[in-house]
Amino acid sequence: MSARLRTAALTALVLLAQSQIADAHIVNARLGDFYAGALHPLLTLQDMLVLVALGVLAGSLGAASGRWLVVVFPLGLCAGLGLAVAASIAPVPPVVDAATILLLGLLLAASLRIPVALLCAIAFALGMMRGAANAGELVPQTDRLLYAAGLACAGYVTITLVMAVALTFRRPDTEPVSSWRGIALRAIGGWVAAVGLMMAGLSFAT
Amino acid sequence: MTVARALLSVVLALAGLLLARPAVAHQATIAVLEFREMRAGVYIGRWTTLPKDGANRIDLRMPPHCLLRLPELNCGDKGLVGQMTIANLGEDMSAAIIRVTSLAGETRSYTISAANPVVTVLGTDAPTLDTWIELAKTYVNLGIDHILLGADHLLFVLGLIWIVQGGWRLLKTITAFTIGHSVSLAVTAFGLIGVPEAPLNACIGLSIVFVGVEIVKQQRGEIGLTAKYPWAVAFGFGLVHGIGFASALAGLGLERRILPAALLFFNVGVEIGQILFVTLVLALIWAHRRLGAELPRWGAELPAYAIGSVSMFWFLSRLVRVLAAA
Amino acid sequence: MMARKLLYSTLAVAPLLLLTASPGLAHEQTGVSGGLANGLLHPLTGLDHLVAMVAVGIWGAQLGGVAIWVLPIVFPLVMAFGAVLGILKIGLPVPELVIALSGLILGLAVALRVRVPFAAAAAIVAVFAIFHGHAHGVELPTAANPLAYGCGFVVATGLLHACGITIGALARWPVGERVIQGVGAAIAALGGYFLVASLGAAA
Repeated sequence: MSARLRTAALTALVLLAQSQIADAHIVNARLGDFYAGALHPLLTLQDMLVLVALGVLAGSLGAASGRWLVVVFPLGLCAGLGLAVAASIAPVPPVVDAATILLLGLLLAASLRIPVALLCAIAFALGMMRGAANAGELVPQTDRLLYAAGLACAGYVTITLVMAVALTFRRPDTEPVSSWRGIALRAIGGWVAAVGLMMAGLSFAT
Repeated sequence: MTVARALLSVVLALAGLLLARPAVAHQATIAVLEFREMRAGVYIGRWTTLPKDGANRIDLRMPPHCLLRLPELNCGDKGLVGQMTIANLGEDMSAAIIRVTSLAGETRSYTISAANPVVTVLGTDAPTLDTWIELAKTYVNLGIDHILLGADHLLFVLGLIWIVQGGWRLLKTITAFTIGHSVSLAVTAFGLIGVPEAPLNACIGLSIVFVGVEIVKQQRGEIGLTAKYPWAVAFGFGLVHGIGFASALAGLGLERRILPAALLFFNVGVEIGQILFVTLVLALIWAHRRLGAELPRWGAELPAYAIGSVSMFWFLSRLVRVLAAA
Repeated sequence: MMARKLLYSTLAVAPLLLLTASPGLAHEQTGVSGGLANGLLHPLTGLDHLVAMVAVGIWGAQLGGVAIWVLPIVFPLVMAFGAVLGILKIGLPVPELVIALSGLILGLAVALRVRVPFAAAAAIVAVFAIFHGHAHGVELPTAANPLAYGCGFVVATGLLHACGITIGALARWPVGERVIQGVGAAIAALGGYFLVASLGAAA
């Protein structure tokens, strides 16, 4: 990764963080339910945290296991959304959300070799949780199908791009474990896990 | 290499199929409200085109010093100056036009859309910088919305990217498409040519069918017209799509003196949306290649057929509408 | 090498961050962007936190070996543990004092190039990490958006470490070695000042 590319990525991150978070309802009125479904996860920090962490984890494991998530994760999103609408189940409590973030971060920080099947199962489960969480935005007038399509597209685009970037960035298998690229990816895992730990603490505080 | 794009286009084609509904719906229900100044600062207003949901549902707010009790609008000595807002524009109504005719008989039109729910009414002075910024914001946003909601335009661009496969040729092709639709958009908006909307939409559908066929040809090793002269095809169909873009502007009843600026800003908005889309597609192609996430051999032709089927569906349904109207 | 590259990127983006953050500061902080800005700025605006985090990075780079990669991965977790204590309002004894002390001790360790076994260094750093995390964690529940606040402060801390490791990488040149010791001395001096200040406040 060239210095310029990295700078650009950092810049984008900063600008993204600074940008005004648009209200999903305004998007809905302006661009319809497809874009409402697509933008809601992109503008929700919790969703983005899970998406990016999962993408980096899968990307760090290599193309052979990562590529399945291109399909599995969006399917999980749709399944979760569908289940939440059909069975109207309550979203998972915040402590479970926090625990999944913690677990995801620890997996990345430990840089374990996760088998493909397990990775897919994790991705599908996370997708279902996030999909169900996004069902909270649905109102009776919302076109469910369009909203689901938008949600799945956003999940697909984000996870694919993040995985490809992480894959490009990661340490080649020939380099030693102490290579700084490997450390940087694992450090991100440490950060994610730290955020998850704090959120878990917060859910007990109230 | 081409298979790298496969999954992406299946997704987009699906999205296109789904988007077909709002795309039809947003073929504009534009309400028109006219105010005529009876004596200084006092206007009589009426809906000349009623909003679909009825006039009562519209949350119209006039500048605070004005008292609105339709049909009367009393703004006192200051006159109708300040911000007009319709906060609840949404799916059923894409835009509303407010026409104000002054005592002197001069008429001005203001377009309020969901993208830009506030317009500022200025005095009779010359347009200031604020007016231009307001205008730019309105029409750039309208342009972005139009291209983002136009699944047919996006699918056509995707087809072009697929056939040309990136690099300089792609840049030239997209530029040709841009020039093509800019020219015809301008020509149509100035009223130099007029094309009825229904047959035009059918043509746009057909243009995507054409691209789908060209992709299949390319996969079979034949060299089609698009592969040989991509810029010519892009320019030609760009002309057709541009007339389509103009239909978004046509209903707005723009004042003649702001038309060139509005047209420019609208086109800028369309280009912004198009660049966003092309960038996203190229990024996804890179990502798929990086991940080696490609369709197996037996499914390689699936996306081209998906594009073809969706666009054929559009073409036929639009053709039916033409025939039904005739 | 890598640290230098990272520093360049960080330096390139930092002014942008400042530029875009300043209007945010003037307004009332709300929602995600407010929480994020708060979390990012909290470790950066408190000078005592800032110098201690940089010192941790430098010391880790000086010790080398395992320390250089265990530090960025495990430190956030230990700090988050401290933050959880803060969130749950479990008090720690004399937090101000320990935080000031951390600057002094870590600064001295860098300036004098103290070499201790890895386990000892890790234990020292871990204790300080818990106190620093605690100080940030106390404010987390009241943040505009706690999640954004947490993300912001973890990222800011990580970047401060990166700065420290970068400075530590200067050690490969003889002049750089002097610079590092100078920075260490400055940090120790600041830590000493904060220590005296907090003692004065306590007395």
